[in-house]
Amino acid sequence: MSLVNYATREITCKIVYYGPGRSGKTTNLHYIYGQVPDDRKGRMVSLATQTDRTLFFDFLPLDLGTISGFTTKFQLYTVPGQVYYQTTRKLVLQGADGVVFVADSQARQLQENIESYQDLHANLAEQGIDARAVPLVMQYNKQDLPRDLILQPAELSDALNFRGVPEFGADALHGPGVFETLRSISELVLKRLSSPART
Amino acid sequence: MSITTVEPWVEPPLKQFVEDARTVLALLLHPSGQVIAQFGFARAVDVMSACALAAAIHASSGELGRQLEGRPFRGLHHAGRDRQLFLAEAQTQRGSFIVLTVFDQESSLGLVRMYFDEFARRLAAAAPPLVRRTEPVLEQHFERDLNKNLATLFGRA
Repeated sequence: MSLVNYATREITCKIVYYGPGRSGKTTNLHYIYGQVPDDRKGRMVSLATQTDRTLFFDFLPLDLGTISGFTTKFQLYTVPGQVYYQTTRKLVLQGADGVVFVADSQARQLQENIESYQDLHANLAEQGIDARAVPLVMQYNKQDLPRDLILQPAELSDALNFRGVPEFGADALHGPGVFETLRSISELVLKRLSSPART
Repeated sequence: MSITTVEPWVEPPLKQFVEDARTVLALLLHPSGQVIAQFGFARAVDVMSACALAAAIHASSGELGRQLEGRPFRGLHHAGRDRQLFLAEAQTQRGSFIVLTVFDQESSLGLVRMYFDEFARRLAAAAPPLVRRTEPVLEQHFERDLNKNLATLFGRA
């Protein structure tokens, strides 16, 4: 549910980075945080364990500037990927305007990716949301790892992207693919606000 | 007193609450973490962080209540050294809203709770029915602005 303030001409959107544990969701936010000037971002909030695994969520508010005359703000969240944080994932997913699914490209993580993607659909359905209607972008992260350890974007696409949504190979630690992913989900989310059939 | 609101109908009840309960900070937010109104914060981005955390506390304490007592906890109080925090939920025909308020020695928990109950009644009475807007918010060709702004943010302009 994007919040639109017609009086002050402001739009606020919630984007959730979803995916299995250690796929690089927090790394995406860290990279974005490091790139964006101070006056365009808020403090990055991380509720993490002592070993830096996301416990509840990471949160990064961004000011995207003026788009079509509206001051546009994005709230980026991550969910904890580990299977046992199911309840937390549901809570963070509430009210999401768009989802980035961050898959781990390592071949041995394929099953975790599939299970996490199924978990995303189940959690959306539980909230009465038609998963096909939610703006979604796939990111195949860790493409910088040795080729014999990872699956190529086309292989991951075959296994995961049955909806045919925009997809990007990425190396979130160093940046490639992070910007493109954010640009793509931003465009999908805002496109909903430029169409007359908005709910 | 400067109250910033996303939806104007929440302003009178919130203003009254802030005055009556003598709070230092007040936030009204949607359970998803989206801000509806705020009083006392200097920067919009700080408001967003506070909303995300308040929504998380509300959601997790609610879930904890469900698991322990079969129903969610719906009020939370934390006493700091100089300031205290009160978090609770108000129901309206537009759905539930969360209120986070911070107060100091100028007020008290009893006062805040009492005026919160009044605030919740006023908010419910003020809430207009939800109207579905069908006209587009953004122009069809918003991508140019989006691409330019993102490129600037990432130092690619």
